[in-house]
Amino acid sequence: MKALLLRLEPIIWLLFGGGIMVGTLLLPGYLMTVTLGGPLGLLPDGALSFERAHAIASNPIGRVLLLAIIALPLWKGAHHTRALAVDMLGHHSDALVGSLLYAVAAIGSVLGILAVLAI
Amino acid sequence: MARPSDPHAMTPRKPGSTRTAPPTVPDDFWTRPRMLTYLLFDATGIVYLLVGLVALRVAWALGSGRAAWDALMQSFASPGYLIFHAIALVSALFVGVRFFRLFPKAQPAHIGPAKPPPPAVLQAMLYVAWIGITIVLLAVLGGVWP
Amino acid sequence: MANDGSGEMKTRTFVVTRFDPDKDQVPKTQSYQVSCRPEWKVLDALNFIKDEIDPTLSHRWSCRMAVCGSCGMNVNGAPKLTCKTSLSEYGDTVEVAPLANFPVIRDLVIEMDGFMEKFKAVKPWIIVAKEKAVDEGTNRQSPAQLAEFKQFSMCINCMLCYAACPVVAKEPDFLGPAAIALGHRYNMDSRDEGAAQRNEIFRGEGTVFSCSYANECSEVCPKNVDPAAAVNQAKLNSVIDWATSFVVKREK
Repeated sequence: MKALLLRLEPIIWLLFGGGIMVGTLLLPGYLMTVTLGGPLGLLPDGALSFERAHAIASNPIGRVLLLAIIALPLWKGAHHTRALAVDMLGHHSDALVGSLLYAVAAIGSVLGILAVLAI
Repeated sequence: MARPSDPHAMTPRKPGSTRTAPPTVPDDFWTRPRMLTYLLFDATGIVYLLVGLVALRVAWALGSGRAAWDALMQSFASPGYLIFHAIALVSALFVGVRFFRLFPKAQPAHIGPAKPPPPAVLQAMLYVAWIGITIVLLAVLGGVWP
Repeated sequence: MANDGSGEMKTRTFVVTRFDPDKDQVPKTQSYQVSCRPEWKVLDALNFIKDEIDPTLSHRWSCRMAVCGSCGMNVNGAPKLTCKTSLSEYGDTVEVAPLANFPVIRDLVIEMDGFMEKFKAVKPWIIVAKEKAVDEGTNRQSPAQLAEFKQFSMCINCMLCYAACPVVAKEPDFLGPAAIALGHRYNMDSRDEGAAQRNEIFRGEGTVFSCSYANECSEVCPKNVDPAAAVNQAKLNSVIDWATSFVVKREK
C-alpha cells in the first residue's frame, strides 16, 4: 500500500495543488452566496431560485466550476488531513489512513462528475 | 521535559558502537504558536473534505429537481449548517492567506525557459485573482449578473 | 542589549540534559548555577560549566562563529546554534537539551550518522555524463546561473532544521530539509546533468512529498538557506520530471 501511494504521489500532489489553489480561489464566493447569503436571506429575490441555479449549473462553465468546487477541495482536504494524521498518529498508520482519505477524494470526484453531468 | 519522536527518527541503518537514547522533541514542540498555526492549517483539510462532500449534495439536488433544491436550501439555513459554512469560509480565507504567502518561494528559478514573476508581484497577482474571482462569483451567484 | 561589556554579571541556572549510556537508563537533567558575563553566548556558559564546574559534560562545538555547524542544541525548546545565541535573550533559567529528533550518544552529543546517510543519498556532487578533458577548459557559469542555486549552497549542515521539522519527528524515512535542499542545489546548478537521477531519489522512499510545508526549517535556519523553498521547488521539479519521463525516453 505504501509503495502504491509512493508511486501515485506525483498525481496526488498535482491534484492537491490544484485543490488548494483553485479550491481556495473559488470557495469564498461560493460559500458567501450559496451556503450563507442565500440561506440567510441576504441575496436578492430569486438569486438562487431553482430556475436560476439550474440555469447557471447547466451552463458548461457552470458545470466545470461546480465540479471544481466539489472535487478540488476533496483532494486538498485528503492530503492535509493525511499530513495531520501523520503528525498526530505517526507514520505506521499512514498507508491505511492515506489510502482511505484519497479513496474518499477519488470516489467523491467521480460522484461529482456524475452529479454535474446529471444536471 | 521531552516527549518521544518516532523511535527511529534520524536513526542510521548501521547502529553505532554505544547505546543511544531515543530521539525526543521538547514538551512544547507541538503547541508553540507557529506550530499550532501549521497544525490548524492542516486541520482545515477536514473542513475542505466536508465542504466538497456538501457541494456534492448541492450538485445532486440541482439534478434532482426543484423540491430537492428547495429542501437543501432550507437545511442550509439550519444553525448547524450555517456554523459549519461560516467555519469553512474562515478556513478558506486562512488557507488562502498562508498559502499565498508561501507559494512564491516554492517556484523554481526557471522551468525550461520560463521564469516566475518576482515573489511580491506573484503574491499580488494571486490576491488580484482571488478578489476578482470572488467578485464575479458574488455577482453571478448573488443574483446581480446576468 | 549592549555587547560592549558594559552590562552586569547575571547568575543563571542552566538545566542541562545529561546521559551516560554506561550509567543511565534514560537521560536526566542536571542544574548548574553560572555567573554569566553580559556578552556571553549559551556556548560560553557550557564551556564554563565544563571547564570550571563539571568536566564530565560533553558537547560539540568548534568555530564559535556560526560557520561550522557543530554546536546545534535545543535551548528552551528551540533549536539554536549555541555559539550564536546570546544569553541576554533568556531569563534566570536556561534549559539546554540535545538537538530534537536525533538519537543521543551522550549528554548534548547526538548521533549524526542518520543525517549523513540521507545527505549522501541525494548524490550531492556534480554529475555529468562525460567529464570534460582538462584541455577543454573550465566550466563557465554566469552570475545569473549561480544565483539560481547559491542560496541553497550556504548550508553548514548544523541540522537545526531536522530538529524543527514535524515530519522528521514522525517519518523516519523522510530525507529532510538539508539533504533535499542540497540535492536541489545540484539540480539547479547549470554544470550538473544529474537532475533526473536525483528527482527519482526525491520520489523514492525518502520522498520530498512527505513535506507538509510547515516552514519550521526555514524559520530556524541560521544561514537563511530557506530549505522549505528548496523542498517545495523540488516537489514541482520532481513532478515535471515524472511527467516528462513518460514522453521523453531516458538513458538509465
